[in-house]
Amino acid sequence: MEAVLKNVASTTELLAVAALSGEVQRWDKQTLSRAVQWARYCEHLFSRFHNNPAIRMLMEKQLQLTNQSLRAAFAGYIEVSFSDLSRCQHLLLVGLLKNPELPISIMKILFDTASPANTQQSECQDVSGFCSHIIQCKSACKVLSPLTDMSAVGVGADAEVQAVMLMERLDALLSQGSEACRTEHILDSVLRGFEGAAGHFCLVIAAALLTKRNSAAQSTSQDFLLDWLQKEQSVLQHMCSALPATLIIDLTKEHLKFRRAYCDLLKKWASDMEYSISEGEWVQPRGNRTVSFNRLTQHFLGLFETCPSLRDDVEKELNALKISDGDFDVGGLSVWGDLLSAVNK
Amino acid sequence: MKTLPLLGQFLGRLCWNPYVTADAAGRRLLFQCLWGLYSEHPGNAVERKANQWIRKVLCQLATEGDDDPAQALMKQMGVPPKEYHLKVLRKTVALLQENIGKSCSSLGNINQRCSCDNILATSEACVPLVTCPEAAPLIGALLQQPVTCVRAALSEDFLDALSSAHASQCLSLEEQAVVSLWYHNLPSLEEAVLSLLECALTNSRSIPQKQLEQSLLPKACAQHCSIFLVVNDIFRSILKQAEGKESVKYFIRTFTSCFLRELALQQHQSSVSLKAMFPQSPQRLLLPLLTRPSEMPQEARKHHLHWLSGSLQRLTEEEEEGDGDTSSSTRLERYHRVFEAWFLLVQCAHWVQVAVQLLVTSEPEDCGPLLWLLIFYHHPTNRGHHRALQLVHGREAWDHLHSLFLVSARPLPVDRLQSLVTLLSPQSQQPSLSPLLTLNLLVHFAVFLQQSLSAATEILQTVVDRSGLVDEAECVLSSLELRLNEENCLSSDTKRVHLRIQALLNTVTRMHAASNCADNEAHTLTL
Repeated sequence: MEAVLKNVASTTELLAVAALSGEVQRWDKQTLSRAVQWARYCEHLFSRFHNNPAIRMLMEKQLQLTNQSLRAAFAGYIEVSFSDLSRCQHLLLVGLLKNPELPISIMKILFDTASPANTQQSECQDVSGFCSHIIQCKSACKVLSPLTDMSAVGVGADAEVQAVMLMERLDALLSQGSEACRTEHILDSVLRGFEGAAGHFCLVIAAALLTKRNSAAQSTSQDFLLDWLQKEQSVLQHMCSALPATLIIDLTKEHLKFRRAYCDLLKKWASDMEYSISEGEWVQPRGNRTVSFNRLTQHFLGLFETCPSLRDDVEKELNALKISDGDFDVGGLSVWGDLLSAVNK
Repeated sequence: MKTLPLLGQFLGRLCWNPYVTADAAGRRLLFQCLWGLYSEHPGNAVERKANQWIRKVLCQLATEGDDDPAQALMKQMGVPPKEYHLKVLRKTVALLQENIGKSCSSLGNINQRCSCDNILATSEACVPLVTCPEAAPLIGALLQQPVTCVRAALSEDFLDALSSAHASQCLSLEEQAVVSLWYHNLPSLEEAVLSLLECALTNSRSIPQKQLEQSLLPKACAQHCSIFLVVNDIFRSILKQAEGKESVKYFIRTFTSCFLRELALQQHQSSVSLKAMFPQSPQRLLLPLLTRPSEMPQEARKHHLHWLSGSLQRLTEEEEEGDGDTSSSTRLERYHRVFEAWFLLVQCAHWVQVAVQLLVTSEPEDCGPLLWLLIFYHHPTNRGHHRALQLVHGREAWDHLHSLFLVSARPLPVDRLQSLVTLLSPQSQQPSLSPLLTLNLLVHFAVFLQQSLSAATEILQTVVDRSGLVDEAECVLSSLELRLNEENCLSSDTKRVHLRIQALLNTVTRMHAASNCADNEAHTLTL
C-alpha cells in the first residue's frame, strides 16, 4: 500500500512539473510516454479503489500532503483531488499543452496523424497521435450528430451515454450500501451541474429510466431514481412538459411509480387552473405557465391510450370532482367537467 | 502569410470545422500548416503572438470544446473525457446503423416518404470518416444494405473517398463490406484486380496460389456475377497485351480454379447458372472444360481430351474457312469466337496439362489430337497458316524426346542433347515452336517415364542448364506437383511420381541457387 501511495504522490508531482515548470523543455518521446503511462496507472487505481472508502481515505490524505508541498513549491498550483485521478491523462495533457515551455517537438508527437490509429487496445496505444485521436473522435461525433437528430430516435447518443454513466454510478453507490441521503446529494449536485440545460437533464433522466436492466440490483437504482424524482417535483414537472410524448408514454409503460406520479401531476395541474374569461379557456396561474388546457387534455388522452385500465378509475375520480364542484354541464364552471367532456369527445 | 494575412483567419476557422478535423488527411494537412507557421526562434512580436495563438488553438482542440453540463457529469461520474467521447461516438454509430438496417417498404407508392432519404445524407456525412475505425460498422452497413428503394442511393463522393482510402490501404472494413464496395464502385474493383496482378506477377518465381488464397477477389466474384465479368474483362485485355506470357496464363488459370471452388461453396445459397458467369464462351465447350480432371476417371480423360481437341479444331476451321469472305463483321465475329474459346481454355488449362501428361505416356499413333491441343494453347492464332508446320515440328520434338528418354545406354548422346537445347532456345525463323511447349514436354517426359531417375535428372539438368530455362522448369514442376496434389488419387504410381517430382525440383532449385550465386559473383566482380 505504501508503494501505491508513493506512486500517487509522485504522479501528482509529475502533473505539477508538466504544467508549471520549465523541466518539460528537456522532455523527449520516452519521457512523454512514461508520463502518460503513470497517468494511466493512476486512472486504473481510481477505478479499482473509488468504491473502497478505507483506501480512498488513505489516498485522499496522501494527496492533501502532496498538495500542500506543491502549493509551496509552485505558484498558481491547482490542487488535485482523489476524483481528479479518474481523469489523470486529461489533466496531464491540459497541463502540458498550456505550458508555454513545452517544446514544439513534443507537441508534434502528440498531434501526429501519420499512421492509421490502432484503437483496438487502448492500453497499449502509442503516445504518438494521442491528441490527434481525441480530435478525431470529437469531430466524428459532431459530424454524425445532426443525422441522429434527423431521425429523431430516442434521446440522442450523448444523453444515452450520460444516462448509462449515471446508472452505473448509482448501481455502485447503492450496492455498497451507501446512505440514501449521500446518494441523493450526488443526484442533487448532478442536477445543479445541468444548470441552464434542464431540458437535456430531463432527457438523461428519461434515458436512465428507460435503459434495459438485467439484474435486481440495477432495478433498485431505477427505483431510487424514481423516488428522488417524486421529491424533486420541479424536475418531474419539467420532464412532463418538455419531453416528447413518445418518451413520456414509454416511461409510463415501464414504471408504475412514474405512471402514478405523472397522473398525480396532471391532476395537480388541472386543479391549479382558473378560467380566464378574456382568453375563453382554462389557464394556469400567472407565473407558472407550463401547460395549456389543450395540452393537458392531450396528456390525459395519451395516458389513457397506454393504460386503458387507468381510464375508468381516473374518469370516476374526475366525475366525483365534477360533482363536488356542482355537477354542471356548462363549460367554464368546473375544470373537471370540461376535462371530462374534452376527453370523451 | 505576408501576402495573404487573412489566410491565418481562414486556417483558424478550418480548425473548428469538424468535417476537416475528422478526416485523417485533412487533419494532417491542417497541422502541417500550423507547424509551418510556427517559428522556432521568434524574432518579433508578431511571430511570438502567432506561436501563442497556435499553442492555444491546439490546446483548445484537444482539451476543451465540450458543453459544461456534460463536463460536470463526467467529472462526477469519474469518466475521463477521452473515454466519454469514444463511447458517444460508438453509440452514435450504433444508433445510425440501426436506422440503416430498416429496409423501406414503399415500393408501391412513389410519393410516399420512406426512411431511405437519410441513407444518402448518412453516406455524405461519412465522407470524412472513411479512415476512422469506429465508423467502420456504419460504413459497412451502408455498403451492404439491400438496395430495395430507388431513394436508397449512396453518395458518389462517399464511394470515391472509400475507393481512394482502399487504394492507400487506410481502410478498415470487414470482408463483406469490401465486397460490397467493389460491387458498388468500379474504380475500386479495378484497382484491387490490378494490384493483385502486380503482386502476383512481379514475383516471377512464386506461384500465385498463396496470394490468391489471401485475396478476397475469388469470393467476391462468386457472390456477384457482375464482379466476375469485370475481372474477366480485365484478364482478357491483360492477356492480349501479354502476348503469350506463361505467368499471366498461369495466374488466370489459378484464379479461375479458386473462383470455381468459392462458387461451389456458395451454390447452396444462390444458384447462378454457369452460362451467366461465362456468357461469351462457346456454350458446348463450357461444361466439358469446367469439369475438373479429378472428377473424371483416368480412362475417360483421354476420350474427353480427344473430344475437346476435335471441337476446338472444328471451331478454328470454321473461322479459317470464312477467310475468303469480305464482310469484316462476320470475320471479326469468328475471330472473337476463337478468342473466347482459347480464353476459356486458358482459364481451364489444367486440361492442357493433363494432355501433356497423356502425350508423354501414349503411343505415337495417339499423339495427334493431344498435340494439336497443346499447340493451340501456345499458339492460338494461325497467322499465315503456320499451324500445319507447327504440328510437324511438334511431332518431331515429341519423337526426339521420346527416343531420348527411352535410351538406356550411357553416356547420353551429346549431339541429341545439343539439338534439344537448340529446340529450346528462341528461334529467329518462323514458324517456331514455343520453347515453353517443348520444355513442358521435356519435364513431363522426365517425370512420367519409367526410366531411371538419375538418367532423367541428368538429361533435364543438362538441357535446362544450357538453355537457361531454369526458372521456367521450376515453375512447371511446382505447378505439376500442385495439380497432382489436388487430384488426390491414390494409385501406387502416384507416390513414385511425387518422389520423382521432388527429386527433380531439388535439382532445379540447386541449379537456380548456383546460378544466382554466380550472378552475384559476376556482379561483384564487375563492380
